[in-house]
Amino acid sequence: MPRRIAITGFVSLLAALLCTSIVPVAFATATEQPEEELMIDHFDPETGKRVIPNERCLTCHGDQQQQTDVRDDGTPVQIFVHSKEIEASVHGSQSCTSCHVTIDRVPHRKAPAVIVGCIECHRDTWEKHKNDTDDKYARLKVVNEQIGSYMQSIHAQPSKLDQSRTNATCYDCHEGHNIGELGSIQRAEKRLKNPEVCGRCHEKELEDYRTSDHGKAVLEKKDSESAVCSDCHTTHDIASPETDKAMLAITKNCGDCHEEAQRTYFKSYHGQVHRLGYTDAAKCHDCHGGHSVKGEDDPTSEIHADNRLENCRNCHEEANDNFLSFWPHGDAHDRENYPGLWAFRVFMEILIFSVMGFFWIHVLLWLYREVMDRIQGKGFVEDLSQPDLVYFRRFPVVWRWIHFLFAIATMTLILTGTTLLFSHTAWAKAVVEFLGGIRMEGIIHRTAAILWLGIFFIHLAIATSNIWRQRKTFEWFGSTSLIPNMKDLQDLKNMFKWFLGRGPRPEFSHWTYWQKFDYWAPFWGATVIGASGLILFMPDKTSLILPGWTFNIANLVHAEEALLAAIFLNSVHFFNVHFRPERFPMSTAIFTGVIPIDEFKHDHRLEYERLVAAGELEKHLVQRPSRRVSLVASFITTVLIMTGLTLLTLVLFGLITIPS
Amino acid sequence: MENMKRDKTVHRGVCHLLLAMLALVLPAAVSAEPSGQAMSFTCAGCHGTDGASVGPSMPAIAGMDPEVFVDAMQAYRQDERNASIMNRIAKAYTDEQLKEMAWFFASQRLRLFPQPHDPVLAEQGARLHEEYCEKCHEKGGRPGDAGTLAGQWMPYLHYSMEDFINGKRKWPRKMQRKVDAAIEAAGDKAIPALVNYYGSQQ
Repeated sequence: MPRRIAITGFVSLLAALLCTSIVPVAFATATEQPEEELMIDHFDPETGKRVIPNERCLTCHGDQQQQTDVRDDGTPVQIFVHSKEIEASVHGSQSCTSCHVTIDRVPHRKAPAVIVGCIECHRDTWEKHKNDTDDKYARLKVVNEQIGSYMQSIHAQPSKLDQSRTNATCYDCHEGHNIGELGSIQRAEKRLKNPEVCGRCHEKELEDYRTSDHGKAVLEKKDSESAVCSDCHTTHDIASPETDKAMLAITKNCGDCHEEAQRTYFKSYHGQVHRLGYTDAAKCHDCHGGHSVKGEDDPTSEIHADNRLENCRNCHEEANDNFLSFWPHGDAHDRENYPGLWAFRVFMEILIFSVMGFFWIHVLLWLYREVMDRIQGKGFVEDLSQPDLVYFRRFPVVWRWIHFLFAIATMTLILTGTTLLFSHTAWAKAVVEFLGGIRMEGIIHRTAAILWLGIFFIHLAIATSNIWRQRKTFEWFGSTSLIPNMKDLQDLKNMFKWFLGRGPRPEFSHWTYWQKFDYWAPFWGATVIGASGLILFMPDKTSLILPGWTFNIANLVHAEEALLAAIFLNSVHFFNVHFRPERFPMSTAIFTGVIPIDEFKHDHRLEYERLVAAGELEKHLVQRPSRRVSLVASFITTVLIMTGLTLLTLVLFGLITIPS
Repeated sequence: MENMKRDKTVHRGVCHLLLAMLALVLPAAVSAEPSGQAMSFTCAGCHGTDGASVGPSMPAIAGMDPEVFVDAMQAYRQDERNASIMNRIAKAYTDEQLKEMAWFFASQRLRLFPQPHDPVLAEQGARLHEEYCEKCHEKGGRPGDAGTLAGQWMPYLHYSMEDFINGKRKWPRKMQRKVDAAIEAAGDKAIPALVNYYGSQQ
């Protein structure tokens, strides 16, 4: 054993001996705080992480006397939090570090950053408690829905200036330490504070808002009923204001308070486009201004008479003073304020109800009569032992083409036009989307309208030239003339008698009275729909000569007349031509141009007899159309009938579901 | 012959005993590193049994905050803290071992020994502490995340403060500002007053 170690051992032993005598003495004088916890008790036994009680944080952060501290770079920083507020908030029982998870040492060894994530905890807690029988955590459902909305919002997008952070996060808007329960005082106060909170980032908008009627009510009069930012922009589902989503939501939200204004807006063309989900037409804020919205009497208001035209010109670049007399919220049901519009509506509705009422009764009675006749073995029945071989030519090729194109154009117009009229329906939205959006729909509608009017005028030209060529011999009230005469009135009367079983079926000439009605109705329609359509087609041009309120009238009558045509054609016209038992399921005469001679004899007895007497019948007789021509005609007729019935269904569905 | 036989028997007995001892000791020795407690025995020479230093310039480490312990040892290991021999000792331990020892000392109760002190200075120190130190060294400097000051051996506190002031030890965040303010307020008496205050605590 080396000597040095031996000595060391000896000294150690001596020291040990000394200790045995000294240490007890030392222990006798030493004090212990047995009531105090051991140091390890300040650590979580499971995770080994330090447990930092809230009081420890509040030593500095709850000190009213020293509400600020200085950062490492010497700049001041506000560190004070209201402990009482936290305790009274929904998070009152949470520890500071359950949110401030990066804080692990007190005093902080490094400059602490506010790194707080709210979402995970709220999601996990809801996941854990969503099946609870009590409703202690029920509100978390809404919180999680809002989180979902927030995550889709512009606020959750990375900031353009700094991609490492989002545009805004939970605690930028919510006062993290002062979140109240539903109905709490914190929430009431929060509403009044909303503009200031948003204005911390959106400074310019807040400045505009301050000058608005909303802003004055909220910020000056402390009227929490008036609109704050989130009422229009939503709380969490906030989209960039340039997006359709935001513009649609904002306009919809205006209506939450301004119900009447929204109702009348939706009646206008602007509103109809909006309700279809498109932002191309004017929305509330386009005319009223967004953040700086004011009443019309305020000279700085965008809707003040002096400023309004400028707004119109944002879209209608050539708008002139006549635009000012347009009623953006014109209400055809408001007799007091819009008597002219009201009168047009009443007239159009009387027209629709009387025409439809009359013809539907006509249809039902006719159906009744033919069914009764059939039961009694009467009426026109195809003779199967003698199939039709001889046909009577009723329509030359040009009329057949005209009818075909007219039908296609009309149906296209009905489809595209009624989407606006019934913009509240899902089918309307689907149709517009299918067609490629509202602008494409506008193009299609206008193209069809030009085609429709074109056909109408071409027909007029042909008819006029035909009459001109036969001007020497043309009998205005002759048997082949379409001009209504007294016999038509007589026929109508006798038809009703026949319907009711009080007389024989009247005998008709070349054109029956219902055929004449079908012929002349488009003249009225072309005038009303065509004229109103042209006004709406070119508002900038028409306003050069017409006052702005004619747009309101045009919009109203265009829609009402179109509705009448759509319902009439697809129900009454279809019945008279195709669906009455004698004709069911269809007549293809307008496409083949011919009808069996027996049918002609039955339906146009007088003309048949006249032709026979004059020896002219032979001129009009043709062979039975080929099988292929029959099939093509049946096919086209079937497609058009099915389309017409579909349109009728959509229109009736739209009418029934129209919001009151 | 007889002797030889007895010798053999003795040898066999000793062998058996050794084997039995090995059987008992080896598994323990092989299977585990020395425990925090075992490693901490080596500290007792200076820091007292279980870290209860009997002073006067050796700090008590019983009941010490474990993270503060690890921070201190790591600082010694990296020669970031003015040391006499701790820098050499600290280098012998892994992070894991430091943690083990930290937990051991954290599970001990701090024992305080009465120290001679100046009550007037201590009184002044109490006021300075309340004004400048309490927020970090809470409860009068009781053991915590800012170390152990209350009842700590006064010479050790003196040396430590000298190290800070002389730039031999890195100031923790904000501490220099506070100490400067205390010195500004109480002059040269500030540090002795504070040391006396801490030494006065039991």
